[in-house]
Formats: sequence, structure tokens, C-alpha cells
Amino acid sequence: MTSEEWQIVWFTAWVSALSTLVITPFGLALAWALARRDWPGKSIIETIISLPLVMPPVATGLILLKLFGRRGAIGGFLHDKLDFDIIFTWRAVLLALSVMSLPLLIRSARIAFEEVNPRLEQIARTLGAGNWRVFFTITVPLAVRGIVAGMILAFARALGEFGATIMIAGNIPGKTSTISLAIFQNVQLGEDANAFRLLGVSVILAFAAVWSSEWLLRKTRHRQ
Amino acid sequence: MKLHQLKSVFVSSLILLVVVGAHAAEITVFAAVSLTDSLKQITAAYEEESGDKIIFNFGASSTLARQIEEGAPADIFFSADEAKMDGLEKKDLIDATTRKSRLGNSLVVVVAADSVLQIQSASDLTNGSVQKVALADPKAVPAGIYAKSWLEKQQVWLMIGPKVVPTENVRAALAAVESGNVDAGVVYKTDANISKKVKVAYEVPVADAPVISYSMAFVKESKQSDAAKKFLNYLDSKEAGDIFKKFGFSLRN
Amino acid sequence: MVAAQNPPPAVNLTLRNISLPLTDFTLALDVELRGRVTAVFGASGAGKTSLLELVAGLRRAKNGFIQADKNVLLDTAHGIHVPIRLRRMGYVPQDLALFPHLSVKQNLLYGFKPDAAIGITFEHVTEVFEIGHLLARRTASLSGGEQQRTAFARALLASPQLLLLDEPLASLDSKLKARIIPYLTRIRDEFQTPILYVTHESDEVRALCDEVIVLERGRCIRQGHAADVFNSITLF
Repeated sequence: MTSEEWQIVWFTAWVSALSTLVITPFGLALAWALARRDWPGKSIIETIISLPLVMPPVATGLILLKLFGRRGAIGGFLHDKLDFDIIFTWRAVLLALSVMSLPLLIRSARIAFEEVNPRLEQIARTLGAGNWRVFFTITVPLAVRGIVAGMILAFARALGEFGATIMIAGNIPGKTSTISLAIFQNVQLGEDANAFRLLGVSVILAFAAVWSSEWLLRKTRHRQ
Repeated sequence: MKLHQLKSVFVSSLILLVVVGAHAAEITVFAAVSLTDSLKQITAAYEEESGDKIIFNFGASSTLARQIEEGAPADIFFSADEAKMDGLEKKDLIDATTRKSRLGNSLVVVVAADSVLQIQSASDLTNGSVQKVALADPKAVPAGIYAKSWLEKQQVWLMIGPKVVPTENVRAALAAVESGNVDAGVVYKTDANISKKVKVAYEVPVADAPVISYSMAFVKESKQSDAAKKFLNYLDSKEAGDIFKKFGFSLRN
Repeated sequence: MVAAQNPPPAVNLTLRNISLPLTDFTLALDVELRGRVTAVFGASGAGKTSLLELVAGLRRAKNGFIQADKNVLLDTAHGIHVPIRLRRMGYVPQDLALFPHLSVKQNLLYGFKPDAAIGITFEHVTEVFEIGHLLARRTASLSGGEQQRTAFARALLASPQLLLLDEPLASLDSKLKARIIPYLTRIRDEFQTPILYVTHESDEVRALCDEVIVLERGRCIRQGHAADVFNSITLF
């Protein structure tokens, strides 16, 4: 493996981990709201959240490109007022990975929250706990298996993301090149050996992610 | 006309129709994406005349060459550089006797139509106001390789390399400039001509640029030898040449 | 030591014009409860649990007024609904709702608010309920009686204004019942905490309670001292 290839592996790993961390607070809050609350327009929100799961990733990438490009609603504001670019930078990779993996986290976490007996939350309130305390001391610990499973799933999805990433981040060597993008480019260039090396690393990473999720779930199983 | 004369005209027309119909071929042409508009116009006239149908696969010449190596069903390959054709010839995938260097092109630096950037030389691209430059992937795609070669010769590649956003092919680089997500791009003059959303900021002088040569040839694995070679000849003709020139290509033969 | 001149704390619960629609009928109450241990008696489905939930704040009445001692908990006419966590009601549901992911000690300390004046300290309560040796255990590993005592202790350790017990002895056999009842007596006497006690068993009522209300299909059909009430109505 060359140093460029290690850089690609390292970049893919940390930006996937970062995207998982970034989506977790927002994803858990949304999952909780979907599990415990009802409001007009709830089904619309549910549908929008599921879209990246169902649409072709490049289609999601296209939407992100239009929104966050320099001429887009959000990207335009960022570029003109704050001199801040997202498209074709590592931040676009973070954005693509976050958007594509968020629905997976929300799905798992929502089911986990729904399985927490609301009665336990109510009893906690009678004991004087406010909403935040109930959430962190009762709801989350009891839902932790589903939450962790969701986070691992999100991380694995982020590791393998391609369609949306190539749309908004391009494949800029040293800046936005991820394992998936590099494999694709190597195949296009006829550099099969490189592609297979990266494929090998990608398999090892996926294996490690799934294995540690199983280990974590085994650990939390004992606690309950 | 007498009845029996009518009958023979009718029968011979039928035979002619059947013969022509039986010989209507479908040819697949893998062509560099910068040839999209010109080839489409050339083919419109040809299909009428010959009755053959031309199917195109436009893309980066590097990608197309790779596809042909992997056995993709192409009858003709029309590359934006000689190197990709050399690669296929070395692998004995094209018929070298049909190979012709057909077109030339030139490079331009384009910016978005509403951009205020002033680029008057290669080194202007090193300015701080130019943060991102779109090129067709300089590792593989002819347009990008030509652009990199020009910038290296101008001794600014080291400064510009880090700003490069490599794209899938030269039209993708054009689109990136149109979208405003990059500050400038290096594309063929013929590409700049077809887009209203970009303007040419700087025309690379012929002396500074590498020689750009488009090469076309018949692919050996093809099953449409006659029809394909017929079309190749048409591409070499004056009528086709006039259309190419209209779009901004130069003729090399 | 509790000062002798203070009157023993009573439930002091006022429910006026309560209207809470349930599945088959509407809970409609207009009562004042003044006992030290007040039993809410009635057949299953009479609305007894809903009454407790109303007082605890787990349910919201469409209309009504609830006051416990000096604290107004609900006043729909003025848009007042005190949130659950501020009501200081010690609610022990029928299934006890012990936190399965926390140890006994963590359960006990969850809402802990000591009140040394009436003996509500961690050491004393765990001693009285004889659960001091169980502190490190997971609640799921406790026996039925141990879980019951832990649930009582947890509610009591939050120094509630009023204890709301929903059929606390329902799932216990008679031997265990006999052993648990003294703990309830100690809550009343030693910890000076009034109890609102839901049951459908008249024996418990007689033993422990000084006031009884009888619910039938959401309405209070009888209220008074245990002896009087049970002599004047047909037992279920």
C-alpha cells in the first residue's frame, strides 16, 4: 500500500466516524420525537427522512448539489456571506455521508425507543426527574442496544458511500478521495491491483465494524 | 405505363426495399464526449442516406478504451488523443489499417458567464481569487492530460495542482464551471462554443499547448465490418469535415 | 422524633368536578379525602387506577380541580396543570416499575430527597424495609417480596407529600401479605406519610385504612370509616 492509499483509508475512516458522531444527537432527538410524539405533518417528516434510503444515491447527491452549491439556497448564503464552501471539499464528503447514513440511525433508534416501556419514564418523573434526566438516565440506557446498532450501521453505510459523494465532493486526490471513489477510479484506469488492495482494506474495515457491534451488543445484553 | 411495366417497377422496388432493409445495420460508436454535438449532426444526415443506424457511447476516451479492453461491443472508437488508440493498437484490439488522425482542437480557460475573474495567462490561475479549477481527470482523461501538460510547460502546475477538481470527463468540467462551484476550468474550445453559461477567459496559444490529435479506427471485435468501415469513410469525407469545422475543430488530414 | 403536638399528616386530597372519559364510562368525582390511609375500593375496572394516575399527573382530566394539602395540582378553569415531577407524589404502580437497568441502590437513590425530621434517610429507610443487603443487586434478581419493599422504599425516599399505592399486595400470597403489611403500617406511623391505597380486597382495607371510598363505574358511591362502609354495602 502506498502512502496515498493509506491517506485514503485514514480519511475514509475518520470522516465516516465523524459523520456518525455528528448525526447522533440530531438523529436520536428526531427518533425520540417520532417514537413518543404525534403532530400534524408527522408522516411527511417520516417520508422525507426515509428518502435517502430509497432514492438512488446520485439523486440525493443531485439535490445536495443544488442546495449546497455556490448558487444554491444554502450554499449561496454560505459562500457569499461567510466565504465558506462545501461542494468539492472534505465537508461535502461529511455532508454526503451524514445524509445517506442518518435514516439508518433514526430507524434503529426509533424502534429502540418505542420498545422502552413509557411507564418507566413516567415513574422517573414522579421521582422528580425532568425531561432531559429521564431521557439520559432511563430512555437512552434502555434503548442503548438499538442505538448502538444504528450507529454502527450508519458508520458502515458511511464507509461505503459512493453516489452522493461523487456528486458533491468529486474525487479530489488527497482531499475528498474515499475508498469507494478510489476503487472506482482505479478500475477505470485499469489499475486493478490498486483497486483490489483498497477492496481488501474496505473488507477489513467493514468486518471490524460489524464485529465490534456484535461485541458491544453482547456486553449490553448482560446489563439487562 | 402499361400494366406489366407497373408490375415490374413494383416488384423491383420491393426487392430493392428488402435488400436495403436486410442490409440496414446498427453500428456502435464509442466517441470522446467532446465530439457529442458534432457527431450527432453528422450522423443525422448519414442515417437518412445509408439507412444504417448509429448508436453512440460518449464518454471520457480513457473510460471508453477501458471498456473496449473489457470486451464492450464497439464497432468504431473515436478517441480525443493518440495515446488511448496506441494502447488499444498494442493490444491488437483495433484495425491499424483503418486508423486515422482526424481532428485537432485547442484549449481554453473558461469561467462562468457572470464571473468577473480576469485570466490572461496560465499564471493568473495561481491567483488567490481562483480557488478551484475544474479539469477532466489529469491522470487519465485526454483533455485533462493536455491541460496538465500545458500548465507544466508554463511551470505553474505545482501551484495549480492542489486547486484542481478532477472530473469524470471534459463535459463534466464544463458543467462544474457552469454551476459556479468552481472558479475556472480548462476545456476544449469546441466545448466552450456550445455552452451559453460560460465564457472564454483565455485562449491557450497553439505554441504553448501540446499537440491535440483525435484518432479514429475500426474495432476488430466488431461484427459490422462493412457498415462500420463505410461510416468511417464518411467521417473522413468533406461533408463531415465541414461540420467538424463548423463546431470549431481543425482537420488534421 | 416527631413532635407530639402536630396532628398526624392526612391525605388532605380534594377532587372537585373531575371529569375523565375512560373506555366504558367517565370518571366523575367530587370528594374530599381526609384519612391517614385512605383506601380506594372497588371492583376491577372501576376507575381506581385512573384516579391514582390523575393525582400523580400521569393522566389529565378534561375538567376538574385537584388540591393536595395546600398545593393546587390541577385547575382546568385557570389552565393550571402542575407537571409530574413537581407534584411530589410517591406513585407505586401495580407492576412496581423498578428500573431494570439500575441496581437496587441506584433505584433507591433515583429521586432521593432526605427529610431527617421524619426519618427519611437512606440508612433508616433501607433498614426499616430490610433491603440493606440487597443494594448491589439487579432488581430483576430479587424475589417478589424484596421487589415490593424496594418499590416502597424508592417512593418513600423521595419524601413525597402523599404515597399512591396501586394494589400493592395483589400479586403476593397470604404469607407474604402478612409480612408486608407491617411495612405499610410503619410508613404511616414512623415516616408520617399519608397513603392513598387502591385495592379490591376488603381484608387489607380493614387492617390498615381509616377511611374508605368506594368506586363503581367511575363514581364514588360510598365514603366513610372502614367499619361503617363495609357494614352497609354488599361485599364483592
